[in-house]
Amino acid sequence: MGIDTENQEIENSIREIAKKLLSENQVDVIIGYAEGTIPLSSTPIFIRKEEDVNKLIWNNLCYINLANYLVPLMPQLCDSEGNALKIGIVAKGCVGRAVNHLAVEKQVDLEKVKMIGIRCNGIVNRSKINLEIGEKEILEVSISGNDIIVKGKDWEKKFPYDQYINDLCKVCKVKSPSASNETCVGECEEIESIHDEFADVIDFESKSSEEKWNYIKEALEPCTLCYSCRQACPLCYCNLCFVDQNLPVWFGKTAELPDIIVFHLIRAFHLAGRCVACGACSSVCPVGIDLNMITRKLEKIVKDRYDFTSGLNAETLPPMMDFKMEDTEEFMLEED
Amino acid sequence: MENKILKKDQIGKLYNELVGEYKFYAPKNHKGNISFEQIEKPEDILLDYLNSKIPPKSVLFPKMEVLFEYTLDDKDVEITDRQDLDEKTLIFGIRPCDAYSFELFANFFSSHGNVKDEIYLKKKENTTLIGIGCNTPRTTCFCTSVNGNPFKKDDMDLFLTDLGDSYLVEGISDKGKSLIERLSWLSNAKEADLKKSEELAKKAEEAIVTKIDAKGAVKILETSFEHPIWDEISEACVGCGTCAYLCPTCTCFDVIDETDQYNKRGRRIRIWDTCQSCLYTKETSGHNPRNTKIQRCRNRIMHKFSYYPKNYDLLGCVGCGRCVYLCPVNNDLRVILNKINKIEKKEEKKAVV
Repeated sequence: MGIDTENQEIENSIREIAKKLLSENQVDVIIGYAEGTIPLSSTPIFIRKEEDVNKLIWNNLCYINLANYLVPLMPQLCDSEGNALKIGIVAKGCVGRAVNHLAVEKQVDLEKVKMIGIRCNGIVNRSKINLEIGEKEILEVSISGNDIIVKGKDWEKKFPYDQYINDLCKVCKVKSPSASNETCVGECEEIESIHDEFADVIDFESKSSEEKWNYIKEALEPCTLCYSCRQACPLCYCNLCFVDQNLPVWFGKTAELPDIIVFHLIRAFHLAGRCVACGACSSVCPVGIDLNMITRKLEKIVKDRYDFTSGLNAETLPPMMDFKMEDTEEFMLEED
Repeated sequence: MENKILKKDQIGKLYNELVGEYKFYAPKNHKGNISFEQIEKPEDILLDYLNSKIPPKSVLFPKMEVLFEYTLDDKDVEITDRQDLDEKTLIFGIRPCDAYSFELFANFFSSHGNVKDEIYLKKKENTTLIGIGCNTPRTTCFCTSVNGNPFKKDDMDLFLTDLGDSYLVEGISDKGKSLIERLSWLSNAKEADLKKSEELAKKAEEAIVTKIDAKGAVKILETSFEHPIWDEISEACVGCGTCAYLCPTCTCFDVIDETDQYNKRGRRIRIWDTCQSCLYTKETSGHNPRNTKIQRCRNRIMHKFSYYPKNYDLLGCVGCGRCVYLCPVNNDLRVILNKINKIEKKEEKKAVV
């Protein structure tokens, strides 16, 4: 079965469930994905009427983590008294992880959220395709069988699907939400623990400190500090980000590389044991910065030391929010 | 003044001749991100491009700029002003929409009574623009709907048309015309070259498929400040600064004072800022007049299509389409303006009934 057929089935099931949830008043609004106006894109959509459910789509360009819209809750998702509406949310595995994790951090009330679970088949790496096409306008992108077909005026290029999805999707172990049938309608399974070899991190780990430093410097050089990575991250919901703190100023805000690096690395640290590996930060970056190697490394450290994976359920506190009296902390002075 | 021909293999010659006198900026590709950079090797110049991702506003209004530096001892502060403002800058390969944005910038930075942005204006005065027509505009381009054209020449000093293996060179301003005289080795253009350039210009204009009724939107916006449409328009926005930072006409900046107390010195810096940031309008008291995303999204549209026309009799948009194709969530400006234009139609209909 090709990816295109899988997508069609997923899309049909999303529409069917959405229709049922709205008609039975189980939810007031559904957050999902709609067709984008330009190739290689999609756009979040908020559906309130049954007759609009056919605007919901699923394809491999649905890169935004929709849990981002749950916190902070915008006025459009509240009733006239400011209370949260009942929300249905189209949830691929990483959206499910984010919803769970936000519930653990008491940012989301699961009583008010219904996940429409789907089994995600990976998200196309937009910047990689854009980079390879270069200075030609892409006019159409489609998936046929297992190929991503990119067309422009008088040209066409095929990309093998398995190689051109996000690196995070290639190693993803939570393709549908890890949730019970109570919180999730549609595809879901309760996952207790995952086994991850972190084979994709080994190469980075073997680099010298200098090489790692150069990797980070080079990756961040084009950053414009637009903060789209932070804004699209479902777990970056602080009222006031450390970098915006100006009474007193904690960190420099200039566009000089040291300040840029400080922002990105501290943001990464804040996501240790919290990042849900959705890759939204890199998918939305207008200049194609991908720092997921750093977040993967942090995920590995957390897994190795605490046997914790974020977002598998809505109860377990993440390591940085919890402690046990018998914690040995023998790694406290380790360097790596 | 006769029109000239610059062969594509003569770009290096042109560069070598001018680089001593000017800081020479041109589009350069850095891993898929095209921006206007100071060129060190002529082979880095990329002219066969759609448009730069980072608008060339970054040359005169970089994402970070030191305004002045200072040192202090127990009694005195000594300020060192910028020394580089008299240097001559040349921007090569700029597109017509972006060249027009320089006029909007200069207008904005000089039209607030006695408060003028001397740093920007001085640099602008010392800048020469050698632009290039857009033979193949993107489908997201809509310059013709906002007073522009893929072959708009009047904001440039020299205007180039890509004829295939050479460029037609037209002197537009006096600055440009004297530059042509200096480049005496340029060959004369033939009648056929001019004809071809006219054909290309016509074809390019036809290739602009996006049409927006900007004037209509300006009118509707006058009375739509409280309209519920803003709830819908802002819903998907994530509140990042992409649309503003990569907009050639967005002028907003924040000012930071950096003090190095150990070495008794400091600098005042400006960095790009955006009305999409929640801090942008936050007041010292803690009150924020634009506390929600709804208000912030509205401000971006109102600023370009309502306040700008009202205050300067200009549109604050040049139709480059960067915010259209670079918005992380595809919150497409074309769709937004079309939605705004439909407000009136609905109400007119009501009035008729």
